[in-house]
Amino acid sequence: MAETDLGASGHDTHQHAGTAPMVEEVTDFEVLEIALRELAIEKGLFTAEDHRRYTEHVEQLEPAAGSRFVAKAWLDPEFRRLALDDAIAASREMGVDWLHPTGFGTPSDFTAFELLEDTPTVHHVIVCTLCSCYPRPMLGMSPEWYRTPNYRRRIVRWPRQVLAEFGLYLSEDVEVRVEDSNSKHRFMVLPVRPDGTEGWSEEQLAEIVTRDCLIGVALPKPGVTSDAVRPLHPAIRPVTSD
Amino acid sequence: MTTDHDIAAVRVRTLEHIVEHEQIWERMAAQYRVTNPVPPWKTSLDAMCDALDEEGEALPVLTRREDEDRISREVYSSLPYPENQLVALAHSLVTRNVINETELADRLEVVRARLDVAGD
Repeated sequence: MAETDLGASGHDTHQHAGTAPMVEEVTDFEVLEIALRELAIEKGLFTAEDHRRYTEHVEQLEPAAGSRFVAKAWLDPEFRRLALDDAIAASREMGVDWLHPTGFGTPSDFTAFELLEDTPTVHHVIVCTLCSCYPRPMLGMSPEWYRTPNYRRRIVRWPRQVLAEFGLYLSEDVEVRVEDSNSKHRFMVLPVRPDGTEGWSEEQLAEIVTRDCLIGVALPKPGVTSDAVRPLHPAIRPVTSD
Repeated sequence: MTTDHDIAAVRVRTLEHIVEHEQIWERMAAQYRVTNPVPPWKTSLDAMCDALDEEGEALPVLTRREDEDRISREVYSSLPYPENQLVALAHSLVTRNVINETELADRLEVVRARLDVAGD
């Protein structure tokens, strides 16, 4: 193991302040994962191409399913009831099957999924204090910050402060409930449908239900969509040809 | 896949050695000051589970998941997640005679040697 911050990556020119990019030691578990995979491929249980395809798929999941789920729950009272009573059945109704998740990634560790209903006086936010458990069939891969000790440790102790760091300021009369996920139990937030969306279609509503709203670190707002154009800043000293 | 014995009662020494070595991610990450909460092989393990579920019939999806729950709890309770998920899958494949323990042990040595050489 490296003695200093600088050498942890093995590249002196690749410096990280206080942390290393990755463990520079092959663990028995890493070896076991590779060995199992190779033997399974050799026995014809699946192909290397199958495995690559599923890996790519898992890593590229998006929160679109969760957005559609919430939009439908806002519009359809019967679906909303089902979603709150049996979120797995509701997921299946809209094409996300947690048990046979091909097409939606692989929560192979999954057992239960629950929707957390916000009200004007109760706000939910999800976390995984142990690692990074996350409702991937609904939201895709978790954001980097969701996996950091900064978020995982502090959101359960100082939720209002951490939410404020995301720009979400909740008044004192709103109770904040932090739900801790684990390898067997996943959660997603059902935010309150915002004013100004009366008469909107499911597609329009789904556009404002961004990933962060489903985690609970943001609230849906008309005009703020996950497809919002990213700000483009002009260069301060643009290169000119002359 | 054999089901005529209690797979939780079968000891898999090769896996026990791995558990004893205690190279769990939490400890390794702390040692190297890495902040990733899950090990880099986690996505690959998930894809392997998906591939087993969808492409093969050696270990049906519900059997795999029930094994994972039970074996993690009853045999490898000292391991955290996701190490327990990986070792439980290996235990399930070995004790259900999908993979032979000797060939697994041999392959572990081959893979280890390959990776160690690559790191020299």
